[in-house]
Amino acid sequence: MENNRQITAQQLMKKLSEAMFYVNDLKLYLDTHPEDSRALRMFDEACKNSEACREAFEKRFYPLMACSSDCDKEWEWLVGVWPSQKMA
Amino acid sequence: MFIFTKMTQIPVKINNKNPKLASYILSQYGGPDGELGASLRYLSQRFAQTDKSGIALLTDIGTEELGHLEMVGSIVTQLTKGEGARSFDRYGVGDYYIDHANGVYPSSASGVPFSAAYLQSKADPIADIMEDMAAEQKARATYDNILRMSDDPDVTNVIRFLREREVVHFQRFGELLVKLQSKIK
Repeated sequence: MENNRQITAQQLMKKLSEAMFYVNDLKLYLDTHPEDSRALRMFDEACKNSEACREAFEKRFYPLMACSSDCDKEWEWLVGVWPSQKMA
Repeated sequence: MFIFTKMTQIPVKINNKNPKLASYILSQYGGPDGELGASLRYLSQRFAQTDKSGIALLTDIGTEELGHLEMVGSIVTQLTKGEGARSFDRYGVGDYYIDHANGVYPSSASGVPFSAAYLQSKADPIADIMEDMAAEQKARATYDNILRMSDDPDVTNVIRFLREREVVHFQRFGELLVKLQSKIK
């Protein structure tokens, strides 16, 4: 069960990092091609997808941004794999 | 402003230990062509840019390089996690252990501490962007050198990704340079 959960975290993280990579690369392209209407539409779509991927990960696993922390009981921000650590 | 996100651009997951390889890769943390110099260079130069594309590109690439700094630090940490003094010594990097143990210290592979002398900020958009294009090529060449030294696929996958990003940044800076030069005419 624990193992299954970790595999899914890795899979969702892969999906999210791919979605965010697409956003970032389009962003740099648009900085030097600000009038490319096709890229503008792609960027809009990419942002929506990336946001959805992040919310899906955070809902199931742990907060990636401080404001996504669940503050009901404790400081949930501490939970999860920090960039210095290796995802199990 | 910057808002931290608890993830890296691609996952960093290194299974083997190798303090020697870590000491080579550390050069892209605080060495002459490393990610700290890259991010400081772009994030400093942008204050003197007047072209909106220039301000945006230096901000966005400078931000991405800060993320790469974090990824390089993560590789170094994972390659040395749990390794002690004797292991560092056996790998030939006992001198690093004496000064920093398992800490990540911004320095070059040859042990020179990070210096702002690695970068310039001239308030001359052409001079700055020319420097940036050269910097991307030097960073790419350093990643090539690291790839020649590494036979750990967990490491080379991440290094190849970082190398590829330098090529993309070079391309974008080149486009900006053309735009700035066309405005002069």
